[in-house]
Amino acid sequence: MLEVLFIGLSLGSILLLVALGLAITYGAMGVINMAHGEMVMVGAYVTVLSGIYLHTNIFVAIPLAFIVTALLGLLIERVVVRRLYGRLLDTLLATWGIAILIQQAVRLEFGLSFFGIHIQGLGPGLQNVSVPEVLQGTFTIAGADLNRYRAFIILVTVILSLLTWFIVYRTTMGTQVRAIIRNPKMAAACGIDVTRVNALTFALGSGLAGVAGVMMSGFKTVFPDMGTPMVVDGFLVVVMGGVGSLLGSVFSAGILGEINGLVAAATNDILARAVVFGVVIAIIVLKPKGLFALKGR
Amino acid sequence: MSSKRPIDWALYAVFVVLIMLAPLVMDSFWLNRVAKYLVYGMLGAAIALSWGYAGILNLGQGLFFGAGAYMLAMSLKLASQTSLQQGSDKPVPDFMLWNAEPGAPTELCCINKASFLWLPFQSQWFGVAMGLVLPVALAGILGTIVFRKRISGVFVSIITLALVLLVRLVVIDAQPITNGFNGLTDLGWFKVGDLEFDPYVVPTYYLVAVSLSLVLVSARLLVETRAGIILQAVRDDQNRARYLGFDVPSYQTFFFAVSAAIAGFAGMLYVIVSEFASPTFMDLTFSITMVVWAAVGGRSSILGACIGAILINVISATVSETEGFAEAWKAVIGLIFVLVVLYLPRGLGGLAHDLVDRFVVRKRGGGERALRVTSTSSQAAE
Repeated sequence: MLEVLFIGLSLGSILLLVALGLAITYGAMGVINMAHGEMVMVGAYVTVLSGIYLHTNIFVAIPLAFIVTALLGLLIERVVVRRLYGRLLDTLLATWGIAILIQQAVRLEFGLSFFGIHIQGLGPGLQNVSVPEVLQGTFTIAGADLNRYRAFIILVTVILSLLTWFIVYRTTMGTQVRAIIRNPKMAAACGIDVTRVNALTFALGSGLAGVAGVMMSGFKTVFPDMGTPMVVDGFLVVVMGGVGSLLGSVFSAGILGEINGLVAAATNDILARAVVFGVVIAIIVLKPKGLFALKGR
Repeated sequence: MSSKRPIDWALYAVFVVLIMLAPLVMDSFWLNRVAKYLVYGMLGAAIALSWGYAGILNLGQGLFFGAGAYMLAMSLKLASQTSLQQGSDKPVPDFMLWNAEPGAPTELCCINKASFLWLPFQSQWFGVAMGLVLPVALAGILGTIVFRKRISGVFVSIITLALVLLVRLVVIDAQPITNGFNGLTDLGWFKVGDLEFDPYVVPTYYLVAVSLSLVLVSARLLVETRAGIILQAVRDDQNRARYLGFDVPSYQTFFFAVSAAIAGFAGMLYVIVSEFASPTFMDLTFSITMVVWAAVGGRSSILGACIGAILINVISATVSETEGFAEAWKAVIGLIFVLVVLYLPRGLGGLAHDLVDRFVVRKRGGGERALRVTSTSSQAAE
């Protein structure tokens, strides 16, 4: 039973890793970033490439992926998202286009494959990342064999959640972000540079997705389409938790992860995911504002 | 508005004539392809109806398309040669037999626990009826729940999205009766009396083309009715419509169901043309791609969204013939999409309307005004 709960917890952690970035970008900026999954994918490819060319392991890839995806996020915000504030559904459509572009960039090796140049680690094929030995195998607590890598994911998720919480609730930028969540116009009137804060928020959200990608690469095959299902899961977590509530995302990720783990243990993975979708639909129908809704005025 | 209407209908007429003339210039291979794209066009129109006119962005339209497709595919599967040659004089789908437990009777009623659900599908027209009834029922139930609870905007999109993914998983998991990931293949031909609709012949193309024309015209007529106009009022300001005393959820649910019926109908036609039904119809990508077509073509124009879908697919098919360009083309589609959202938010349809406004309506509007002025002045003279 402990093993099942542990697996559920690690599934929840993975959900939360992806959802953290979305909780910030969607909650704070009102942007549905469908390219968020592609940020995860880029993070995973950073791990692959840094392994091939720099001979470094997954620990080095974490800060590296954060920087790469944060910069990519900044670029996307500057070029596209900035023009779409206030048009929620249009951000969804435009970022879907961006998602396709990023996928194809990886698949076509930035277009170099047309000239017969191939970059090892990119392209349409599948990539694998080998996990350092410290993280392989299992360890035993209270008679239950627990997977080390899953434990590592949980640990990283806890650290990142605390870090995000600190940024949002204990720094000047975080205060500004929260002011913008409540009321962008009023925030601007109080002298907050909304454009700049939004750009940084988007970069932060994308960077978090990049780190999620590094963690994914350790136990999933890396390929250009890997991000698409993740972004959906991430959104379900954020919406179920309540838009703009970090705590809500943490709770809903935990709940969905455990439900997924328990149902999967009792039946199979496919039904488990179906049940998760069903729970999300039921909660959105019953509480459209989510579990932990901000009380607006 | 009224002066623009004849131009609108003229465009519809041109479109209908063009798709009716297509067989003159195409071989059977392209005819089959274009028939598929016309089905996509119908999906685009369904999206425009719910998104552009009702303001409901359904990211799960694939659910209704898939429902329609599977219902007819079940009937056509039973009509297929592969189902009639399974050692029984009654049809049994081949995949059921491959997975049957040893000693299970080779009968549709009881080869596995749920196979009895297939029994009524021995009649093709039952499949056809269900292909419309099921999507409409699903949309009716979903719409009633969602719209009565006054859920709107992005939450509707997320609910529909989660729902289509849920149903997709259920269909995959119900392997014994749906053939899981593989879907229903090796289907028989759709029959009306003695006429068999081989997917590669001209009558099948006309079946699709005529259906599309009818759907387009009825959808266009529908949004011009009183109900259609109230619906647009709801889209623009739900609360105002509510305060004016309109039962908002009924209008939304009704048009949501109509859109679902069109999608289900499109699903059936797709099965006739492509001879398979599979869970990929309910993939996230497919449902979003439909929205992309509608957005490029013009979300608020039924014909525009339809043409958008056909255009994108015809160009895709042509470009991806050239080897190596298929993947690059996808990137181009992504780029076009970003550009359309940024610079042409109302799509090609919106562009066309602006052009019509600029060159035709203004001139004529000026003329009408001049006429009115002269008539009033002549009255004054009397």
